[in-house]
Order: sequence, then structure tokens, then C-alpha cells
Amino acid sequence: MVTKLTRRDFLRIAGVGTAAAALCEIGPRAPLLRALGPDEQVAAQAHQEVWQATICQQCQAGCGLLVRVVDGRAVKIEGNPLHPSNKGKICPKAQAGLQVLYDPDRIKGPMRRVGERGEGQWEPISWDEAIGQVVDRLAELRDEGQSHTVVFLTGRVLGQMEGLIARFCQAYGTPNHITHNSISAAATEVAHWLTQGHRDFLGYDWEHTNYLLSFGVSMLEAWRPTVRNVKAYGHMRRGRPQRRLRMVQVDTRFSITAAKADEWVPIRPGTDGALALGIAYVIINEGLYDKDFVAQHTFGFEDWSDEKSIQHMGFKTLVLRDYAPSQVEAITGVPAETITRIAREFATNRPAVAIGDRGISMWSNGLFNQIAVHALNALVGSIDTRGGVLTQRVAPFLPWPELATDPVAEEGRSQPRVDHVGTRRYPLAEDVYQQLPESIIGDDPYPVNALFLYYTNPLFSSPEVGRFYEAFEKVPFIVSFSPFLDDSTAYADLILPDHTYLERLQDVALPPSLGYPVVGLAQPAVAPLFDTRHTGDVLLEIAHVLKEPVARSFPWRSFAEVVQYRISGLWLSEQGDITATEFDFFWEEFARRSVWSDPPYNFGEWGRVLATPSGRFEFYSQSLRDQLAKVAGDDLEGLLEELRVQARGDEVYLPHYEPPHAVGDPQEYPFFLNTYKLMAHAEGRGANLPQLQEMLGLHVNRKWDSWLEINPGVARALGIADDDWVWVESPLGEKIQVRAVLYPGARPDVVCIPFELGHRAYGHWAKGRGVNPNWLIANETAGLTGTSAPFATRVKVYKV
Amino acid sequence: MPHWAMVIDLDKCVGCQSCSAACQAENNVLFVGPEQAELGRAIFWNEVFCHIEGEYPHVKATIVPRPCFHCENPPCVKVCPVGATYKREEDGLVLQRYERCIGCRYCAVACPYGARYFTWHAPEWPEGMDRYQNPDVLLRPVGIVEKCTFCIHRLEKGLPIPACNQACPADARYFGDLDDPNSEVSQLARSPRALRLLEDLGTEPRVFYLKEGA
Repeated sequence: MVTKLTRRDFLRIAGVGTAAAALCEIGPRAPLLRALGPDEQVAAQAHQEVWQATICQQCQAGCGLLVRVVDGRAVKIEGNPLHPSNKGKICPKAQAGLQVLYDPDRIKGPMRRVGERGEGQWEPISWDEAIGQVVDRLAELRDEGQSHTVVFLTGRVLGQMEGLIARFCQAYGTPNHITHNSISAAATEVAHWLTQGHRDFLGYDWEHTNYLLSFGVSMLEAWRPTVRNVKAYGHMRRGRPQRRLRMVQVDTRFSITAAKADEWVPIRPGTDGALALGIAYVIINEGLYDKDFVAQHTFGFEDWSDEKSIQHMGFKTLVLRDYAPSQVEAITGVPAETITRIAREFATNRPAVAIGDRGISMWSNGLFNQIAVHALNALVGSIDTRGGVLTQRVAPFLPWPELATDPVAEEGRSQPRVDHVGTRRYPLAEDVYQQLPESIIGDDPYPVNALFLYYTNPLFSSPEVGRFYEAFEKVPFIVSFSPFLDDSTAYADLILPDHTYLERLQDVALPPSLGYPVVGLAQPAVAPLFDTRHTGDVLLEIAHVLKEPVARSFPWRSFAEVVQYRISGLWLSEQGDITATEFDFFWEEFARRSVWSDPPYNFGEWGRVLATPSGRFEFYSQSLRDQLAKVAGDDLEGLLEELRVQARGDEVYLPHYEPPHAVGDPQEYPFFLNTYKLMAHAEGRGANLPQLQEMLGLHVNRKWDSWLEINPGVARALGIADDDWVWVESPLGEKIQVRAVLYPGARPDVVCIPFELGHRAYGHWAKGRGVNPNWLIANETAGLTGTSAPFATRVKVYKV
Repeated sequence: MPHWAMVIDLDKCVGCQSCSAACQAENNVLFVGPEQAELGRAIFWNEVFCHIEGEYPHVKATIVPRPCFHCENPPCVKVCPVGATYKREEDGLVLQRYERCIGCRYCAVACPYGARYFTWHAPEWPEGMDRYQNPDVLLRPVGIVEKCTFCIHRLEKGLPIPACNQACPADARYFGDLDDPNSEVSQLARSPRALRLLEDLGTEPRVFYLKEGA
């Protein structure tokens, strides 16, 4: 072990005067130059060094890692060159993984709350006791016919943990497995479902893209898989002689991505859909669209009549009627000439790709923004072409076995969900995470009796955080699986700490990006440091201790067996880059590489790519029409009114622009609040990583603290100078104090605070440092998709 | 011996700071914490700078990663009164004898690129975090000056790629032998896009940049 070295030690060890020549040799061949005691030197000479292949889990991207392990200590993380996504490269979050593992503030074993909620008084208990308490509570609720009142709240769940938790909820008997997708970017996925039939994110063939039109996507900072994006960016810029990518960033702030684009187009917040449609206008009006693709692979471009001979408006008619550049300029603030120029560039520099995500889709009108942007890809024929948009193929995992027959569980899971998905309130939603506070506080539709938290921190990452605190007060039993005492875990009753990811086995499928499936295997680089357990193993044990028939749905002894069971589907498929006569050999090779993939991406599988009712890219979304009709009954008008959708008739189902809803009077609250992520932000989990905090705000030269980006002219008018403390206040009545940065990349009507800091717990580096803008953000939800609209909240800013 | 040099393509670099993070992890450079960082005492052997200029909406950013340039004609060596800073003849690396350094910081002032960092405090490794220290790299005591070594310990293990280059997601960094006219760095260093910082000072850095833009 290397110890602290004082000058005195150094002189003793190195020998003054003789060291000069030898100093160059600070490798392992020069043990004398290292600050080791005699015993340690013996150990060091015999030290064992391995590079363990595994998968990063700081975000969803699932990059391949090699961890250098010396004598059981993980000392360095590098990229795994065999992984087809990151190809040996990693981002700073991946490097900081060592600080996740060796964080002195980790929870060291199961604990039970002894003081008041949130008071921080804990008592260590044994795993048997902890699991016993959970089982007692779950068994009691099940016996009382209340199994559905258990809510399992999850965040960025990876690999088979997602299916295992879903299965656990089903087998136990609750419909309330609620993921955080609705506060993440679910509307993006819904847009792809309505147009292409895939409720998923998309892949992109960046290697061959010529023109990239990004609507608010922080592609080079926080859009997974970031490392692949950055690598592709380098390639598109310099890797192809004579063919340098042209990139345009439409954004409400000057991000690093905007800085690295050829052009930054500042846009009025929430109006991206209109801009996309203005671009579509020029492309259609000037006949620049891909006529073959539109004719062969799209539905609803021209006016059409259905089987009952009813006439319907086509996309072309709508666009040419409503979205001339001058009309769009009035909505977006983007000059008509700019719109026309970008449209021509986009249509004539193919392959051209338009991307959008959270920044444009998490608004009241977000679904339609995203659909409008994606419609541009269809217009120029970039769906499923070289250099265009790819539709992700999924890995052939072995299907989960049938659940055991269990009338109690069936009764439980057939109850309505506490987040009201699929009802008139949220007709297209799969999860409405941010609905929970209202549901819990109002017992709507029933009281929640137990709350489980896995990889999610609602008391930090939800809009209107204060309301979630109130909801927590009302839940009698809260269990957290977090390895860290984060904001929400600090309010739990029982903590069953998981391993951190360098100690844990976990499969991680690559999120949509390359088009072909990639599955990584995270393997423990070091033995668990503390008395923690894999949450997968804990869930299995809970299921096994719960009496039959719950246990019967879980024929696996460990989470590792679950992973092997599901992975065996890859082996049986005889696809991909690992083939073996026996599963053991397959697994051995899979573990050695820690990645399996099945390239290449084959273009032209139209039946798979366009899985809509028409088998075409639907400008006119029949899925949307049918789903709304199903929920509306005979009152579509009333439903659209409730959902605050302004369009009527065919326009509802076509890409169109709806004005975004804002919270707060524009006179009193003149700014929109943009809360964004930077490269050093590990999905809102990075505040406890000192290495990342010390390199946080590159573009504003800020470290270890939050800041508010404000337009310099606007700031001066308010009497605010650089580095002044200011209050930021929202119509919720909440306010936060933060230092101002006069930032020329801020629009006059937008202020920006990065999302990362402002924890009330989460270890001594994170606690009480910086501000959490979520306290200001109103809990606005886009009814149609059930997704949160965090950018809708207006704020005012004034000097402290 | 090869004459090591580095090339950084600013057109590819996106300021992700993976190079900085990799360098810190590789070379046992510990964070200094919020108070010291506020005083400008954070240590980055490879620091990334971002300069934003212009007025809304005409804004421009310049992003430049900066390791030690291992100059052919290093001003830091000339000013060191005790011979702690020296240029190794066989491969041209500019190195630091920590045990001889008296912490006068002349070198830190003399370096026009700000590549040298003074250790204001002995690094205090939090409980347990010392376990991730790289056993191949010395810890530095308080009161000396430290800087990038081009990952000499890796070079000497036969791994001719510094940690920053290894990590760079944009493939923006190149490393190799400047004496070999066929090496990638030699060829890129001769590119019309190549430039060196403050070339008129005559320091002759061995880190070349490739200009941004078409």
C-alpha cells in the first residue's frame, strides 16, 4: 500500500543525491523509490495485477471497461477496446468510478431507522433481520388483500434487474412498478412509437452522416451513449477526407454541443416543433423531399380518404397552410431566412439527420415537438438508410418463464395503478412517477402502504420536491436499496444496501445507438468492501421466504443464475460474435470479453423498422387516433379539452405545433428556467464524487458549486454583476440562492442552472453544497404522455 | 530513444475532460476540495481551458486541453536554482526531481503555459480512498512543484500511450516519436493545421495543436 509521503520519508527512501538518475525509473522495477515499508515492499514485489473486464454503470450507456486491479484493489479504469460502442474510450464519469467504490460515506451494512424519519438515527441490523422485516410486512399486506398498495419505484435500472423487479411485483401482486421514465424522456419514445411503431429511443449511423440538425440535444455532453457520440463526432469532423460534417444546434442555451456545432440557433423555449415544421415547409414547397421514400414508406403525406370515403388532410396540406417561414419566425424568433437556409442545407446534404430529446419533448407540447422533428427524417428519407436513423434490434434473451398461478397476485396486479396510467388522465403513459405525491397524499385511488426505492432518489430528482417530502411522511414503510445515504434513503425506515457497481454482477444492454444488439456483462472487479448484498439476490431471497406461491415464480438461487438464464437465449440464438457448442463455453468467452454483440445492422427490414398499423412511417398516426378513441369513448372533444390539446380533427394526429404551457405570469416571472446536464453529471448521482465536482463547470470555470447563467445585458439591467449572489424564485413560492454567471450564451428570456447539486444528504461532499433547481419547478405534466414538463416553470431573479 | 511528442486536434476535442480525469487517476493527483479550488489551487497536470467570447447571440468558445509541453527549450529548467527540474536528454522529457525541489515556484512562474502546480498541502486521502492509488506513481509531498510527465511510468513499462490519450473519447490526441518522420505525430505536426502555443517565445513545445475549423 502506498502511504502518505513526507519529504523526510522521501529523502530516507530515495537517498539524496543518488536519486537523480534513478528518478526516471518510477515504474515497478524501482521499488525503492516508492514509499513502502519493508513488509509492503515484499508484498509489492509479489503483487498480483489483473485487468478485469466489466461494464460502466455511471449512466445507461453501458460502456465496456477494463479495471486495473492490484492486490485486490481497483486502481485505474480504462475502456475495453473490444466493446463496440466505446471501443476502449471512456468519459470522466467512468474514471470517477473508483470514488464510487471507495467513497468513505458508503452505507456499510443493513440499517433500521431508530429516531424520527430523516433524523439520521440508524441502528445496524443483520441481513436476516432486515429481510425478515420486509417479508413480514409484505406477507401481512398480502394476507390482508392489500398487496397492490405496495409501490416499487425504480430509476435507471439496468439489464435483468428491470425484468426481475417487474416480475417480483407481478408475482407478489402489485401493478405499481413505477419507473422514472416520465421524469426522464418518455415523450421521446412515445413519438417514435406513434410514427414508427417502436416505443424506444433510436440508433444513428453516425459514421456516414453528413448533416446533423440537433434540437436541444446535448449530444456531446449528456446524450447517451455519450462516448460513442463524441467518438463519432471526431470521426464525422476529421475522419473522412473531403466530407466534414455540418452541424446545427438549435438550443435555448449555448452548450458545449452548441459551441462545437457550426451554427447555434437560439430559439424561444418550447417552440422547436414549429421550427421543424417551418423547415418541412421549405423542403416540401421547394420539392426537396425524398419523393421515393415518401411515396413508398410513409402514410398521410398527401390528402387521403379512408375506407368510409371520409377525406383526411395530409401532412403536406397542413404544413403548407400553417408553417411558412414567416409564420414560424413569429413563433420561434428564428429569422425566416435562417429557416429557409437550414431547410435547404438539410435537404441537400444527405444523409441528414434531425435529432431531439428531453430538451424539446419534456414540455406540455413535447410529444408534438418530437414528432415534428422526427418527421424531418422521413421527409429526406433518412429512416433506415446509411448515415441515417437506425431502429434498434433487441437481443434475443431467453423469455422469462410463466408466472406461477396465484389468484391473490392476479387480484392484486389487476387493481388500478396509483399513477393512473392508461386512464383519461394519461392515455399514452406507461409511468407517471411525478403523480405519486398527489396520489399518496390524497389516497388516490387507495393508500400506499409500502414504498421500495431502487436506483431512484425522488426527494432530489422530482419536480416540486417539497411535495414528495410530504408524501413520504404519509407512507408507513419505506425501504431503500441504495448503497449511499442519498436524500430519499435518509428518509427510509429500512436500508438494504446494494453493492456498488464495481463489486456487482450485472448485465447491461447497450441503449439504442448502433442498431444491432450489444449486451455487456459487468463483473465484480473487487470483492464487496462492506456487508452489502446485490439487490437481485435480496429480492430473490424475499420471494423465497414469502410463502408459496410467490416463491414458485423464482426458480433461481441467485441473481447470477437469473442473468445466466436470460443470457442463454443469446447462446441458443446462434447469432452474434460468440458461438459455442455448450453454454459453459459461451459464458466463459462472454465473461472474458464482457461483451456480446450481433453486428451488422441490416438495412431494409421494413416490416421491423416500420411497425405501425400501416407498415409505413405515419405522418398521420393511426396509433394515436386509436388510442385516444379507446380512452375517449364517445367524448373525444372532452378528452382533448382535459388533455389541453388545442388541435382538432386530423391535425391532432399529424405533426403540428401546440403552444407550450408555462407556469407563472411572464411579467412577474420573466425567465424560463433551463436545468441541464454536463459531461461531469452522472445522471444526477455524481455530486458525491469529488473528482467530478472539481471539474464541473468547464465553460464557466466553476467547481464544487451551482451557478446561474444569465444574459449579461439582462443581468446588468437588474443590477447583477458576475459572481453576485442572487435569489431565483418561482411561482411555487420557493426560492434558492445561487451565484450568478454573466453568460453571453444565455438567451435574454432564459436562465440556466445545472442539475446535479443541492443535496440534503448523500455524503459529506454532496450534502448542503449548491442548489437543487427542482425545488422551484412546478409539477406540470403533459397529460397525453404523462411526462413531466420541467421546463415550463418561469422564475424571477433578483439580487440578494 | 524516441523523442516523445503529442498532437491534439482541437477540431475533435469537445472539452469532456476525460483526459484530465484519466490523468488524475493515473498519476495519483488528488482533488483539493471546494475551498482550495476556489483559491485556484486545484491540480490538473492536464488542464482543459474553455474561453467564451462574444455577445449574444454571436458567441464563440475555444476549448484547449493543456498537458506539459515538454519544450525543447524549457524556461522552467533554466530558472530552477537547485536542478530539480531537468530535461532528460535521451528522450527529451522535462522531468521533476521531487526530492530536490525546494518549492520556490520559479519554474511555475517561468512556464508560459501554466503547466506547473504547487502542492499547497500534502494530499489528504480520505479514509479508504487511498486504496485506489496507483502503485507505479509516487505521491508528492507538500511544498513542491509537480506536473505532467507524459506518463513516464507507462512509457517505461512499454506502454507508449499516456493515460490522457488512452481515454480521449474523441480520438483527438496522438502520441509518438517526433524523430520518426513516418510516425503519425511527425506527420500531423507538419500539417498546415498544426500550431504551437506562444511559438514566438522560442520554447519549442513538443505538444502540437491542430486548428479548429474546416
